[in-house]
Amino acid sequence: MTMRRALVLVLLLAASPVLAALASDPWKQASRDYAVRLPADHVSHPAYRIEWWYYTGNLETDRGRRFGYQITFFRIGIDPSPANPSKWSVRDLLMAHIAVTDAAGGRHLFAERVSRAGVGWAGASQRDLHVWNEDWEVRLEFGRHRLQARDPRFAIDLVASEDRRPVLHGQDGFSQKGSSVGNATHYYSLTRMPTEGFVTLDGERFAVKGDSWMDHEFGTSFLESNQQGWDWFSIQLADGADLMMFQLRRADGSLDPQSSGTLVRPGQPNRRLVANDFALTPGRIWTSPVSGARYPVEWRVSVPDQGLDLRVRPVVDAQELTGARSGVSYWEGAIEVEGMRAGQPLTGRGYLEMTGYSGRALGELLNPPPSATPRKAP
Amino acid sequence: MALFGWFILRRVAQERMRTGLTVAGIALGVAVVLAIRLANASALGGFAAALDTVAGKTSLEIIGTGLGVDEQRLAQLTWLRTWGDVSPVIEGDALAVLSPNRTEAVRVLGVDILRDQPIREYRLDVGAGARQPTAQAFLGLLLDPSSVVITEVFARRHGLVAEPADGSEAGGRSTLQLAMGDVSRTFRIRALLRNQGPARALDGNFVLMDIAAAQWAFDRLGRVDRVDVRLAEPSRLDEAEKAIGARLPRGLNVQRPARRGQQVEQMLAAFQFNLAALSYVALLVGLFQVYNTVATSVIARRDEIGVLRALGTPRRTVLALFLGEAAALAALGCLAGIPLGWGLARGAVAFTSATVTTLYAAHAAGVPALTWIDAALAVGLGLPLALIAAAAPALEAARVSPLCAVRGGTDDTGETPVRKRWTAAGVACLAASAASAQAGPLHGLPVFGFLSAVLIVFGLAALVPAALTGLARVTGGRALGWLGIEGRLAHASLTGAIRRLSVSVAALAVSLAMLVAIAVMIGSFRETVIYWVAQTLRADLYVATARRSNLDAQATISPSLEQAIAADADVDGVDRFRALSVTFRDRLIVLGSGDFRVLLDHGALVFKAPADGPGALASAIGRDAIVVSESLSLRFGVRVGDHIEVPTPAGPRPFHVAAVYYDYSTDRGVVVMDRATFLRHFGDQRPTSLSVYLRSGADAEVVRARLMAQLAPTHRLFIHTNTTLRAEVLRIFDATFAITYGLEAIAIVVAVLGVTGTLVTLILERRRELGTLRLVGADLGQIRRMIVIEAGMLGAVSQALGMAAGLALSVVLIYVINVQSFGWTIQFHMPVGFLLQAMAVVLVATTLAGAYPARLAAGFRPADEISTE
Repeated sequence: MTMRRALVLVLLLAASPVLAALASDPWKQASRDYAVRLPADHVSHPAYRIEWWYYTGNLETDRGRRFGYQITFFRIGIDPSPANPSKWSVRDLLMAHIAVTDAAGGRHLFAERVSRAGVGWAGASQRDLHVWNEDWEVRLEFGRHRLQARDPRFAIDLVASEDRRPVLHGQDGFSQKGSSVGNATHYYSLTRMPTEGFVTLDGERFAVKGDSWMDHEFGTSFLESNQQGWDWFSIQLADGADLMMFQLRRADGSLDPQSSGTLVRPGQPNRRLVANDFALTPGRIWTSPVSGARYPVEWRVSVPDQGLDLRVRPVVDAQELTGARSGVSYWEGAIEVEGMRAGQPLTGRGYLEMTGYSGRALGELLNPPPSATPRKAP
Repeated sequence: MALFGWFILRRVAQERMRTGLTVAGIALGVAVVLAIRLANASALGGFAAALDTVAGKTSLEIIGTGLGVDEQRLAQLTWLRTWGDVSPVIEGDALAVLSPNRTEAVRVLGVDILRDQPIREYRLDVGAGARQPTAQAFLGLLLDPSSVVITEVFARRHGLVAEPADGSEAGGRSTLQLAMGDVSRTFRIRALLRNQGPARALDGNFVLMDIAAAQWAFDRLGRVDRVDVRLAEPSRLDEAEKAIGARLPRGLNVQRPARRGQQVEQMLAAFQFNLAALSYVALLVGLFQVYNTVATSVIARRDEIGVLRALGTPRRTVLALFLGEAAALAALGCLAGIPLGWGLARGAVAFTSATVTTLYAAHAAGVPALTWIDAALAVGLGLPLALIAAAAPALEAARVSPLCAVRGGTDDTGETPVRKRWTAAGVACLAASAASAQAGPLHGLPVFGFLSAVLIVFGLAALVPAALTGLARVTGGRALGWLGIEGRLAHASLTGAIRRLSVSVAALAVSLAMLVAIAVMIGSFRETVIYWVAQTLRADLYVATARRSNLDAQATISPSLEQAIAADADVDGVDRFRALSVTFRDRLIVLGSGDFRVLLDHGALVFKAPADGPGALASAIGRDAIVVSESLSLRFGVRVGDHIEVPTPAGPRPFHVAAVYYDYSTDRGVVVMDRATFLRHFGDQRPTSLSVYLRSGADAEVVRARLMAQLAPTHRLFIHTNTTLRAEVLRIFDATFAITYGLEAIAIVVAVLGVTGTLVTLILERRRELGTLRLVGADLGQIRRMIVIEAGMLGAVSQALGMAAGLALSVVLIYVINVQSFGWTIQFHMPVGFLLQAMAVVLVATTLAGAYPARLAAGFRPADEISTE
């Protein structure tokens, strides 16, 4: 569940008195009565406050050079009907993050954009799958997902295919996130998308192939005030199984009972996992030199009734995104997975996201303190 | 060196009066040149500095035609992103209303605060001690259209604070009243800008808003003023400029931010060039004085020079001695002139900034700091010119033969051939002047016109000895009988000193000539403008958003104001005028639109061409035709019947030039099209001013008062009646030329100082003669009278010469310099009253200038003076 990502923003925005008045009323709440249908629901749902399209993946060149990538588009509703008739009035904040992990180079490059729709330089289409932030974009092209983004230091140009059936999380895509009614999102994933294309690093272009994972989630409110952050896993196992799970951490250190997941097995119905079905155990800590946050970058993942016992380690430790403009810091990185299933050795790859280990106010959007301008490549 | 100390410095020190006057003359001259230079720099400097600080790291900007960039076209410019960071901008001027009768102009920048940061540096502070703005403060700024950020400098100056983000009580006023166009609104101060980046512009009079709020507040929905681009690779600037220019659709252009500064510089060039040229007149008069002083010094000391020569001093040394004297005087003058110039600059800035702001819509800043360059310029200009001025008398000193020492006395041998040479040179100068007046402008500046003027000045100066000699012959004896014996004595002593007097007379005559010329030019101009105003201003009321609305004003009239005025029972018709600043052949001109039908009905334009102006205007309705101002026609060589490319939002379009009309409102050049034509090309735009025609019988004052009472509480507007607008036009006119008179007054002060100096010298030389006069029975009163009469005579002669030369100069000013600089036709008009007054003042001033020397002369004790005999 990608709820994680925008959670930081949502937390901050919900805390704002400006929005408190607006927050609930004008936006539609996620509801059990809404059944997610595809491809119709690939498009934008501006009636809801929060929405994101999230692509991550593990890629390789012919010669085995390994890359991870992330391209994410957020839409955060601010004011559904601004008083100001100007086109520049902010109805939604449109944020995008892109990142590439270079295993051989031991580095992680990322870039961020925060925009308003304005004259259409950023946006999300309600007609078809098309989200963009200036020249970064994702669109459905001949039935395949075309992902394009570039930064002065790196670029992504990939085509991902919908190979497996979409996975609707929770109940027909209705995914409960908090114990209160309405604290939920509509959430589906494309868990294994054969991907090919190019990754460019410092002017060098690599032809790559691999698998991507796409999440699309929309809703209006789903936070409990005591939820501090989350740890989210997307794992594609070599035996063909895909595993998504997340746990919500509370401020007091305990885990929220709404933590959940989905296990996708070829030829079998998807298995919904609830909090008691799995255990996520943090291991080695890596401390970010930029934000000071202490992330457990290694984990032990177990799903006892599936006989799954996996060890997760990062491709590169430093895969933190510290948005210079949004001030949002989180760890989002490519992972290697090794372990056993019912006694048989098993490997896999995936992505791990950890939030709430360092919080920085959105107010810094305009104003990064001079000490924290991570201009250099991590 | 010892010789210099003994021979020159001792004398310079002894004759404090003469030294003081000369130094003062040079100091004033240098000061005026410096002051105008600083004032001009401040006009441009203010603009350029604001431009630079506001432009931030912008490498290129995308601009449209007059109205900025249409948002619909902006949507198609996403490809710009591949070049770097892109930030659309709204930029405008507003008035901060600090109290009911106190306002300050502020520059408002509206940017997308989400994306502008790579381009401009901001540091925000919010109130209540928080150093970092909170999410609330930031979101408020982003979402609330009444949010502004002001600079901490401005806040401190006016006791304002930022609204605490937590909703607690602010520790001071946290709202700001801003008037944009005719609408005044209250804004909430969300944060303060630290004094860096654009906040430094305009002394802190800078307001930051979100682009959406700024667009709404300025009533510019649907367009932005420009798009700033910061290249990812600044080194590829040339390449980027070319590539972007080639890809932009028609009607949009790419330029470097400095280009706007250059265009303003060009716009002001003629105005500033003329001001600078005038300032050199004062310096010129100061230099005459150097010549005068050294020449007097040489003449008075021929015998001493003879002694030096007889003792074996080489000619070279003599030459060096006198050049040294000039250099010493000039050095003192320059030193005194630099601080004086800085002081004068403050006054000059006050004078010029009003003009620059009103007529050119540029912003003048305070007086810029005096730099070493300015000081070096003053010295670099003053010293060499002083040496050149002293060269002729110093050379003459070097030619003094050792025999002089033996023979004694001052002889004026060789005077006649010298005078003839001077006369020939004078005639040559005048001839060259006439020729130079025929030449065209150089780079749009009347360089040859000024050369012609300078040649007249030199010609006049060179002809002074001949004129004085001739005059002495004509007036000899009886003609001055009415002044009694003192008059005859005065005449005789002046006649005997023509050579020495010539320079003083020339200096005074030159300043007077300039005064006369400028008075005639301004007088003619004023009469022309009065006539033009009477012909052109026909509406009963004029509505604008500012007292003085310059043509560049982007401040528009709101629909509610327009409706309220049109709804008044006494209003018969309203003509909406819209003006834009557009680039035409690389220069900024004004493009306006008015209702040609209304203009025809009220006959509100005076046509230069064709003969049937109104017919041409009527034919221009309904097609792509324009009328152009005379200055545009002259500057760009545009004639009736031509087709010229006028910039429109869809790119340049050919327009037929239907007529040329007289316009004195701006020298930038104006293109006017019928409102319907304008709407077709530019879309519906809010007007910048309204001309209101009343029903017959309605009293304009009464309607004005009624409208003001009704609208003033909700709108910020100015309504002029026809009468008050005419008065306002003339008031602006007079304010514009005030500095010209100021410069001339200074030149005359310098010249009168020169006359005093000359008289003092003459009297010191004539101690013996004066002593003798006393001994033969002249009483103190007679001596005093004689000296005063001498001074008066000098004044009168200078006056006459100055008047003649001044009229010649005025012709050059009106028909050459003015036409080449501004493109205005001015009808020649003699401001007789003013000239008579000026002449009387100068006569009195020169006569008074004789008072000090007269007292000096009266103070001589005859016995002391004669005892040396």
